[in-house]
Amino acid sequence: MALLSKKSKEAFKDPLMASNPISLQVLGICSALAVTVQVQTAVVMTLAVIAVLAASNTTISLLRNKIPGKVRIIIQLSVIATLVIVIDQILKAYMYDMSRQLSVFIALIITNCIVMGRAEAFAMQNNPKDSFLDGVGNGLGYGGILISVAVFREFLGNGSVYGVQIVPETLYSYGYENMGLMVLAPGAFVILGLIVWLHRIFAGIEAE
Amino acid sequence: MRSNSYTLIFTSLITIFFGFLLSVAATSLKPRQDINIEIDMKKNILGALGIEPKNSGKWSIDEVQKVYKENIVGIVLDKDGYETDKDPKNIDADKDMNFFPIYIHKTNDNINGYVIPISGKGLWSTLYGYFAIEPDCETAKGITFYKHGETPGLGGEVEKKWFQDNFKGKKFIDGNNTLVGIQVVKGSVDKSSKEAYRQVDGISGATITSKGLEVFLKEDLAKYQAYFNLNKEAIG
Repeated sequence: MALLSKKSKEAFKDPLMASNPISLQVLGICSALAVTVQVQTAVVMTLAVIAVLAASNTTISLLRNKIPGKVRIIIQLSVIATLVIVIDQILKAYMYDMSRQLSVFIALIITNCIVMGRAEAFAMQNNPKDSFLDGVGNGLGYGGILISVAVFREFLGNGSVYGVQIVPETLYSYGYENMGLMVLAPGAFVILGLIVWLHRIFAGIEAE
Repeated sequence: MRSNSYTLIFTSLITIFFGFLLSVAATSLKPRQDINIEIDMKKNILGALGIEPKNSGKWSIDEVQKVYKENIVGIVLDKDGYETDKDPKNIDADKDMNFFPIYIHKTNDNINGYVIPISGKGLWSTLYGYFAIEPDCETAKGITFYKHGETPGLGGEVEKKWFQDNFKGKKFIDGNNTLVGIQVVKGSVDKSSKEAYRQVDGISGATITSKGLEVFLKEDLAKYQAYFNLNKEAIG
């Protein structure tokens, strides 16, 4: 038997490209706009979302046959909220500067549509292993877009990538200027819009 | 469909379990978080004074503690400028309106500077920072901001080095020993102006943040004038 069944593989791979949560399902946009000024914050945000998604999907999948149908949303929410607060506390204790930069956006993972969406749409019907993979896959799909947006924004807006200066000083002395628009939220809208558009062209998706 | 009692019991158990998990996480991480907040504050005070870490440009926790302990004494002043026996740690800026913490940079009993906490409204948010003052009690030595929610690239420039370096050497006291504050001008300071001694370059596109900073800096400095005047008399 293969290590992963076909279904497990799909659970992991689909969200990376074919049903990417951001560019194709258009979920989790608010944090994609907010934390993509720098690549480093985008990476930490991605890791936090992967951790929350994987853990919440697994937990909810384990409980799926016990959760009473009429209160399932509340139960999902309390699982997610607990995990997010724990991660927020850990960041405050071990990565203080980062937690300050991400400020409210870690706490806002609670309301990130991807997390709740995957819990309700996938983890409630599938076994813990597939749910875990689905969580990691969606987290990576989300993070991939987040980091791509951040690379463009940091490069165009600050001349650096992951804090490393790319645009040489000499270019500035010849009159090159960073693009101020890119560090503002509208810059993220433009980049994200372009990425969604390109992704849909390559994925061969026509108008819905 | 499950029975109501099952639903009730299930939700109660879940709530108790997650509540327990959260309190364990919060209490066990609290000491480390408190240290982080303390280190951050000390780093900012040292930063305002222009004290840099020795190696590699990054502070380690031990180095911050050591340098801070060797150089900085924190005291609390009453509103007449006299030292009290309170600890700056216990002063809550929002509640204790009549007590003002001040951090003194001392090496071998020589005073090298003072640091006061500053805070006030910009455009979107309250800015928090520290303002360092030369031992003459009228010249700015440095400024830092550790928390604000201003627009990156516009008001957010207050945390950039070029803006903060601007303040070094500027005076907030005029020739008659009156507090005049430091003015943030639009564009660059006209060096030939006779007001230039108390003016710094503004941030283009961030007039309201600049004006806010100007106002709250002066208000905060006013709280310490009594103390500074006492100091000046003592020096003679």
